[in-house]
Amino acid sequence: MNTANPLSHLNTRGEARMVDVSEKQITSRTATACASIKMQPTTLNLIIEGGHPKGDVLATARIAGIMAAKKTPELIPLCHPLMLSKVEVDLTADESLPGILIHATCKLAGQTGVEMEALTAASVAALTVYDMCKAVDKRMIIQGIRVLEKKGGKSGDWDFSNEEENSTTTSKQANQTAAMTPPTVENQFSVHFFAELREQLGVDKLLLTLDDLPNPSLADLLTQLRNRDTQWDKHLANHNLLMAVNQQMVKPSYQIKAGDEVAFFPPVTGG
Amino acid sequence: MYSRNHVSVQSEVFDLNQETQALTQGRSDLGALVTFTGYVRDFNERPDVQALTLEHYPGMTEQALKAILQEAEQRWALKGTRIIHRIGRMEPSDPIVLVATSSAHRQDAFDACNFIMDYLKTRAPFWKKEHTLTGDYWVSARTSDSQAAERWLPRAEAY
Repeated sequence: MNTANPLSHLNTRGEARMVDVSEKQITSRTATACASIKMQPTTLNLIIEGGHPKGDVLATARIAGIMAAKKTPELIPLCHPLMLSKVEVDLTADESLPGILIHATCKLAGQTGVEMEALTAASVAALTVYDMCKAVDKRMIIQGIRVLEKKGGKSGDWDFSNEEENSTTTSKQANQTAAMTPPTVENQFSVHFFAELREQLGVDKLLLTLDDLPNPSLADLLTQLRNRDTQWDKHLANHNLLMAVNQQMVKPSYQIKAGDEVAFFPPVTGG
Repeated sequence: MYSRNHVSVQSEVFDLNQETQALTQGRSDLGALVTFTGYVRDFNERPDVQALTLEHYPGMTEQALKAILQEAEQRWALKGTRIIHRIGRMEPSDPIVLVATSSAHRQDAFDACNFIMDYLKTRAPFWKKEHTLTGDYWVSARTSDSQAAERWLPRAEAY
């Protein structure tokens, strides 16, 4: 194998080739990619309420993403055909975008990675959302298509949010949330909701920036979220609400920093 | 000793024998092994539970379980501990959670196992949604669970 060339899809003469992977070990591999599609709030509402003229947009886009993952080698010239063992496409409405967040995870036991399949699934799911909604909104923007996480194989585990830092074990653990998009914009932080609260608010994640918060304490964030409307106020009023930052329980006095992963959730009921 | 410890959040069912063997195999220094298995009941807040779905906070759950395990290690003389919690959809009589503790003397293993379950129930981010013939609902936290966890607190400690 030509290891000297950093572009493994080129041979020594610089011509395109399919890489010979027959000597590579069979390992369990997973890749997660994401995409988002920004739209008018009214378009998003149509999707959420299911009143769309073309039918259930999210369910259709999910199937489109899964089917697309299986077609990847037919679309990308030098990509190996793979026996995918799992394809999962999640579409969630994000009112803060406003739009749809797409996460695609592909898995297999094989000799080559599955990030192309995950990227294809996320892209085609986004295209399908566009196709189904273009009659009501032509200005939708498909954005942020990227690989979030890759596991298994020679190059080992890789995580979008860990790429630049020399990650220690602890920071790696803190970023193991496969399905969660790392904040990319400066001053941004994410807010996650779980279980009943997620269902009540109809949203699992918000991306906010510190600039929107005069005082960046958790308590103030909560007040601001409650001011959104009566529903938010009602559901976040529960005094038993638990809060975590970067996956550790914290007190409301915590001062939010850029890049933080904030989470609100009801009292836990495991075991 | 940490290598003898194991924490897992998984959708697959676990095998009690396999898990206890992982703790006991090749060991002659263990005087006690305590295991607790939690199962899905067919009655809870409503009498006809058909199934439940367990949601968790990926990443934080594993960290929370590890932290509970480490605290147990500091409090009792343990020789090895395994915590396995399942997620996803389960039906009555399915096992949900396993805690296995081993020690030289029984009291350490008994107390640690009890402590781990009490803390797991009040600190690890899992949520149960029960599906019944009359509809689905999220299970509410029980005061008795928080009281059970509080008895392990050396002094007032609140989040």
